[in-house]
Amino acid sequence: MSIDSYRFLDFATRQVMKAWAARQQAGVIPFTRLAKRLSECTVALVSTAAIARNDDCPFDQERERRNPWWGDPSFRVIPLGTSESDVRLYHLHIDPRFGQADLDVVLPMRRLTELAQEGVVCRPAARHYSIMGYILEPDVLVGQTAPAIAERMRADGVDAAALVPA
Amino acid sequence: MIPDLTRAVGVPRLAGISYPMSRPLGNPHDAEGQRAVLRATLEVLPRALEPDTYVELPFVWPESPAKARNASKGIPPPPIVELVTKKPWLLANLYSGRIPHEEVLCAKD
Repeated sequence: MSIDSYRFLDFATRQVMKAWAARQQAGVIPFTRLAKRLSECTVALVSTAAIARNDDCPFDQERERRNPWWGDPSFRVIPLGTSESDVRLYHLHIDPRFGQADLDVVLPMRRLTELAQEGVVCRPAARHYSIMGYILEPDVLVGQTAPAIAERMRADGVDAAALVPA
Repeated sequence: MIPDLTRAVGVPRLAGISYPMSRPLGNPHDAEGQRAVLRATLEVLPRALEPDTYVELPFVWPESPAKARNASKGIPPPPIVELVTKKPWLLANLYSGRIPHEEVLCAKD
């Protein structure tokens, strides 16, 4: 693997992330080949930047401050057309200012719309999603949040989803 | 951005990019750069024929790692970093993944 993105991290964070990567066991990896041409696909995006609309419930930062081993495992729907002025980023482990200045840095819905206009994909989904990326114990994320997002994607006729870590 | 961590959790297919955290698509207002990254990422989809397909994207971050880190200098450290700074012995839990449960933490308070 030639990409070394650890180089952007401070020493302690780098060591912790390397230890977690070494300990993970992927198990059986779910996989479905793309059944259509990319140009025929409806595509949805999932950001881990903890984006919530201003008229929606924020991600729970207070509970994480009380118990730093915990991270909010819920998700938010981000409808297509939502812009940076409609949202806030509630992630205590990233610099939220970049995504707050330009939402496409973390959830590229406008870029996806442009790629649809170019014919690279068929269309962006009507709904996109955000979760919060700091989850040390992923039981709720895997058992409840991911299925709930998948159910909405199926209802929207989504063919492919891109997870965008922040 | 941290491809070996993402890969380790078992994603079906992965596009790795050498960009700093917080800016996975690139810098704010660089629409052309962001579009190129998204396009290259989505183009992995039809190429991936088996699980654990990993493609490294060729994009190069325009700043040094030190400069990229400095851009976020004013951001307060995450709660877990504050905690292990105050109680360094808990770092062993963080390394090993032995997560203290909330009821235990509350009982100690």
